[in-house]
Amino acid sequence: MSEHDEHHHPSAWGPHDWSHGAPHNSWAPLIMSIGFGIFLFMLANAFTRGVFDVSYVPLVFVGLLVVLCGLIIWWKQDYSFDGTYEPRATGAPFKNIQIRKVAIWVFLMSEMMVFTSLFSTYIRYRTGIENCQTIFERGDWVAQGYTLEAGHAVICFEPASHLIASSWWHIAPGAINTFALIISSFTIVQALRYASKPVGEIDENVRRKKVTRYLASTWALAILFLSLKMIEWFIGFYIPEIEILGIHEHHIHSLYSEGYLINAEHYHHHDWVDEATGATMLANISVGASTFYVTTGTHGVHVFGGIIGLTYMTFKAWTGGYTPKNAVSIEYFGLYWHFVDLVWVLVFPFFYLY
Amino acid sequence: MAHYTIMGRDPYWMNFFGLMILTLIEVAAVGFDLSPDATGLDYTEKKLTLMILVAIGLPKFIMIAAIFMHLWGDEDSKILTLTALFPAFFIIVMILFIGLTHPEATTGLPEWCRPGFYS
Repeated sequence: MSEHDEHHHPSAWGPHDWSHGAPHNSWAPLIMSIGFGIFLFMLANAFTRGVFDVSYVPLVFVGLLVVLCGLIIWWKQDYSFDGTYEPRATGAPFKNIQIRKVAIWVFLMSEMMVFTSLFSTYIRYRTGIENCQTIFERGDWVAQGYTLEAGHAVICFEPASHLIASSWWHIAPGAINTFALIISSFTIVQALRYASKPVGEIDENVRRKKVTRYLASTWALAILFLSLKMIEWFIGFYIPEIEILGIHEHHIHSLYSEGYLINAEHYHHHDWVDEATGATMLANISVGASTFYVTTGTHGVHVFGGIIGLTYMTFKAWTGGYTPKNAVSIEYFGLYWHFVDLVWVLVFPFFYLY
Repeated sequence: MAHYTIMGRDPYWMNFFGLMILTLIEVAAVGFDLSPDATGLDYTEKKLTLMILVAIGLPKFIMIAAIFMHLWGDEDSKILTLTALFPAFFIIVMILFIGLTHPEATTGLPEWCRPGFYS
């Protein structure tokens, strides 16, 4: 083989000159970034100050279409990648570490900043605005006229945990989600374990089935996570009568039906009734609800992004696309997925329990 | 993949079981009535709950990062841990210099930060 031939290997994107680097160079991330930019900018314009402007909707879909194009290009390139050449960094401080691994960590650094901003916002507001329950227990809200009857609302911070941690049934969706994410972190590691077993140590068909099953399990757990989130936010659930356990028939309300909303300027909790006067305290809880929905919603969007990635990876695994040579792709996705789990480890106690 | 064991067993299984147990304790701490214990310790129930949640949250965080994300025990763990900790600098700046050193940082908010400002 001549020196010229060594530098020209077949590629899904036509002949590629390897002397100028590996064929990982891709326009896909840039295209997706532009698509996300268009999508978010147009979505923000479509809901300016709570007023819906339908004229921006087509451009919202244009943004999504650009993202989809980026995804298709990315997946098409990845699908043909067999791990033959995994480029490594040549300079300090990441010398000899795979470039893709360094890149995913840099990406996770930016993600940490996103969630830190959301957490610091939450800490700032929670400590800076008086808690609604504290105001209620102090009792001076009756004299000040912050009652349902008067129609004036006191501005206070109402954490979602006041509703969620009020009973085991209310905690259940969040608690199940916590276990679901921990199990999914484990299943993705198991998928990596079987994908990276050396050739000959495991039958290739067994490898294909195991990797597919573990990735599919991760996918199913992610779907469960978002489904329970929808139940918790919008749907609620029904508890039937179970006499043997002493459980009475009742309905667990969603946060939406409880009135816990980002625009809740006239919110009242069923417990906020003054025994002496019979008055009900009225509260503006829009800040507390906003921090809850924006933080948990941003986390949910990350889970949704993981579902899209897992859908593709499960398909690739099903076609036998993962071998020990390219198993690191599962590890890199796993880093993202563990990060999503890591964020939930903090979101769950501070937004759901405390 | 991990090249070590925890107490002679697979680190991923051990980590998984550890995380499940800690999460059970976390949920139980919120679900059960801790007010008698809190009174005995001279805390409010809410403060005791918060302390338990932080005490459990930290090891959970470390267990996921160290074992599942391979920030411990691999050749490149050290430099990648430093990379992961790099945003900590900005987090400290954000909390200390913007949050806590601001006059009345935790007791008062400027008008533009308050709900109803746009109405």
